[in-house]
Amino acid sequence: MAFAPSGPEASFFEVLDQHRASLLATLRRGGGEPAGGGTRLASSSEVLASIENIIQDVITSLARNEAPAFTIDNRSSWENIKFEDSVGLHMISHCTTRKIKSDSPKSVKNFALILKILSTIYKLVQSNTYATKRDIYYTDSQLFGNQTVVDNIINDISCMLKVPRRSLHILSTSKGLIAGNLRYIEEDGTKVNCTCATAVPVSSNIQGIRNLITDAKFLLIVEKDATFQRLLDDNFCNKMSPCIMVTPTSVFYHLKLKGKGVPDLNTRLLVKKLWDTFHIPVFSLVDADPHGIEIMCIYKYGSMAMSFEAHNLTVPAIRWLGLLPSDIKRLNIPKSTLIPMTKRDQMKLDSILKRPYVTCQPFWRKEMEIMGDSKMKAEIQALTFLSSDYLSRVYLPNKLKFGGWI
Amino acid sequence: MEKETAGKILTGSTILKYLIIHWKCETAEVSKGALLEGQLVISIEALNSKHQANTLHCVTTIASAGSIYGGLVLKKFLKEIQSILHGFSAKLNWTSEEASYSQDTSGVTPFQMIFEVDEKPKTLMTDCLIIKNFLHKIIIVLPKIRFNFSVKVNGIFSMEIFEAENEPTLNLSNGIALVVNYQHYVSAPKFGTTELLCSRIHPVLGHPVVLFIPDDVAGMGLLGELILTPAAALCPCPKVFSNQLNRISSISIFLYGPLGLPLILPSQEQPTAAIFKDTSYFIDWKKYHLCVVPNLDLNLDGDLVLPDVSYQVESSEGDQSQNMDPQGQTLLLFLFVDFHSRFPVQQMELWGVQTLLTTHLSAIFMESHSAVQDSIQITVGQVLEHHHQAVKAHQKLQASLSVAVNSIMSIMTGSTSSSFRKICLQTLQATDTQEFRTKLHKSFHETTQHRFLHHCSCEVKQLLPERDDAEQSTEDAHENSSLELLAGTSGQVGNKRLKGSSLHQGVEETRAFRSAGALSPSEAARRRAEATVSPLTPSRSRTGPGSGLEDALWLQEVSNLSEWLSPGPRP
Repeated sequence: MAFAPSGPEASFFEVLDQHRASLLATLRRGGGEPAGGGTRLASSSEVLASIENIIQDVITSLARNEAPAFTIDNRSSWENIKFEDSVGLHMISHCTTRKIKSDSPKSVKNFALILKILSTIYKLVQSNTYATKRDIYYTDSQLFGNQTVVDNIINDISCMLKVPRRSLHILSTSKGLIAGNLRYIEEDGTKVNCTCATAVPVSSNIQGIRNLITDAKFLLIVEKDATFQRLLDDNFCNKMSPCIMVTPTSVFYHLKLKGKGVPDLNTRLLVKKLWDTFHIPVFSLVDADPHGIEIMCIYKYGSMAMSFEAHNLTVPAIRWLGLLPSDIKRLNIPKSTLIPMTKRDQMKLDSILKRPYVTCQPFWRKEMEIMGDSKMKAEIQALTFLSSDYLSRVYLPNKLKFGGWI
Repeated sequence: MEKETAGKILTGSTILKYLIIHWKCETAEVSKGALLEGQLVISIEALNSKHQANTLHCVTTIASAGSIYGGLVLKKFLKEIQSILHGFSAKLNWTSEEASYSQDTSGVTPFQMIFEVDEKPKTLMTDCLIIKNFLHKIIIVLPKIRFNFSVKVNGIFSMEIFEAENEPTLNLSNGIALVVNYQHYVSAPKFGTTELLCSRIHPVLGHPVVLFIPDDVAGMGLLGELILTPAAALCPCPKVFSNQLNRISSISIFLYGPLGLPLILPSQEQPTAAIFKDTSYFIDWKKYHLCVVPNLDLNLDGDLVLPDVSYQVESSEGDQSQNMDPQGQTLLLFLFVDFHSRFPVQQMELWGVQTLLTTHLSAIFMESHSAVQDSIQITVGQVLEHHHQAVKAHQKLQASLSVAVNSIMSIMTGSTSSSFRKICLQTLQATDTQEFRTKLHKSFHETTQHRFLHHCSCEVKQLLPERDDAEQSTEDAHENSSLELLAGTSGQVGNKRLKGSSLHQGVEETRAFRSAGALSPSEAARRRAEATVSPLTPSRSRTGPGSGLEDALWLQEVSNLSEWLSPGPRP
């Protein structure tokens, strides 16, 4: 279908088109999309049966006068994770496990909470209703203590049952935004058009989206909500039309200031869905700091915590568009706009450099080494010192036209 | 209490105390700090008085059975004891040197003392209970002394043995050790099918404090200091997972003087411990949210060692709302007063200290009230803090198991799969969901309790002797035979007593003290098996609190003395 042609000339996208062709060729050489490992979509009856099996095992242990225990994969252990270029970080098939025992003072509460959340999931699936992780936390906030406990247990259950979270009828609290050349229909029939002036919230039910339609030449993942809004204000989507840009949940920017913040699941699922459906080039626009690089790595290769769902979440085809550390020198960005790296920044950078996927990304490594050597970092907002609209008017268009991604 | 009775009890206890002091002093040079070891026989033979109606002429004999380490200088001892007992009305005899002892080459010496008194049958009964409690109090701090206590009333004989040699103990200073087997202090808790598997108390020793002697009491010329060392423990072990252990229901205080000698005789008028009538004199119980009142209802006739002071903890409204079980736990507080001197302590000096403490304990404690209070408060505080932590851990566990059970029930009852529900019920052998829930909860409780027990890191010093397998199997065989004997004869004891004349004269009906909550042989075997897994589990002793059934039967017979007074036909 056609959208209002307000973007640049067709020649502008030559390099992009070549890039896309290259990506498609790579895919064909690799035998198409890698087979989904780890989790797979499961039907409601399968989920219910899995939970019932777990309960039966617990009761059988008790009948034998043995204290029941859950065996959980160690999701957060590097020894259980391997890297594949086509997938990213994903769990090995025979990974180490840990036991959550009912007869240990340290783990009995965790054991009980796993059962509690299993019973909640059971009801959700049975009644074909959905709840967010936050909803589950608030069913008994005193019992759970904090949201992280709930999140971890849900991930453990997802890993234990080998089904994605959405099959458990648990939705992420989604606050991501999407804008640009994209239309689709939600599961409940709602029609969504992302071309409006203000961005559209990312759907909570990515799995249920259908009838996706786009002409986009590229998808731009923007790390920060502030940058995203700036681009919206600068009418970037129209100027660079057809394109799509997305930013993860805005709360993560706040969390990033505290050194935390991970892309939300729904945004990752949407990016993955758009790639799987359209194979359009995906680029990331992140701050030139270790945290930004890490966020980008999560989109591209996945995270340790969610490695059991890597096949459903990672987009190894993502390219780093900016802000590159080499751009800082190239563009003569004033040193006054740069920020000295903290010890934590340095540790994170060192950690990323040691990760298995960096070895197959020599250009990324080089950029990280530039950053490490200068001991300075920069936010995207540093470009505003060149001009207020430098980002949308000069930097991004040049990068996209001339293939300034790595 | 009759003067005669007071005289008899005091005579007996005085002799025993002085004997122990003398014994300790004689052995001090050889084995300072070691526990006194030996066996004493106390026997009472009572016959109807020929001169007074409804009166028994009682002859009490205190003798050594076998050797007393270090020997006894008889003449000196006799002279000293007579000077101490000169105020007592009891007739005191000593068997002649030639007849009473034979000194062998090892230098150990047996001895025998006899004193006589007339008293009423009921008084005799009370006296015997008092003496038993006194002996019991001694063995829990002098566990290597064994007492054979026998009573023969108009030919009807019974004997009980008091010893704690093979029980786990906590070493204290100056040659005493506290027996930490809980069964001496509280009855076996009634947990239904759940048993108490940690059989020890875990005393916390307090900081020793010097006691000052009031000026109006001083004048003895003591060349040393009185030192108070408190020790506190909760009984039963609070680390064991149990609903019933959530509250503290009573407090028992034991007062000991030098060498582990009890300071107070039960049922005595107790000006000595008058200060303890004020429950908060030494301990601020409100700090621990405990409402404490004196407990004057002390039952002499029990298997447990009777405390010198007893308090009851009253339930608060909050406790009642939480369905607290009335049995609860007992806080045990041992107050050991010892005498320390740079110079060798003479036995008369020790006796003087013992007498001083027996008569002026309240005044002495009051003189050092602040220091005593601090030491006791800190000790008790530490124990109660442990209890508090144990309660919290227990509550946390209970809450978790409750969540687990409810979650499983939610899935099970909500499932539309009849096969799943059926399997669940069958696995736990339940007929309906109500029963299933009960069994589920019980199963969780049992499996977690078993494992939590192994986390019970009970750190108590033991004086358990090393035994080889042959010895172990011999003892096991002996225990089994004892159990069989008792099981076989317990029902017949009463009959034997009733048919007094049918009892073979001189036949000893050995009845060992059994631990409270006597075990069946299979249970005993299981406990022994568990002892190999958890080495801190004490081996079963033949001693300790007596068989309640047998004592009750004997006392019933004693109370029916009118039958004895008119002997029935012989079979």
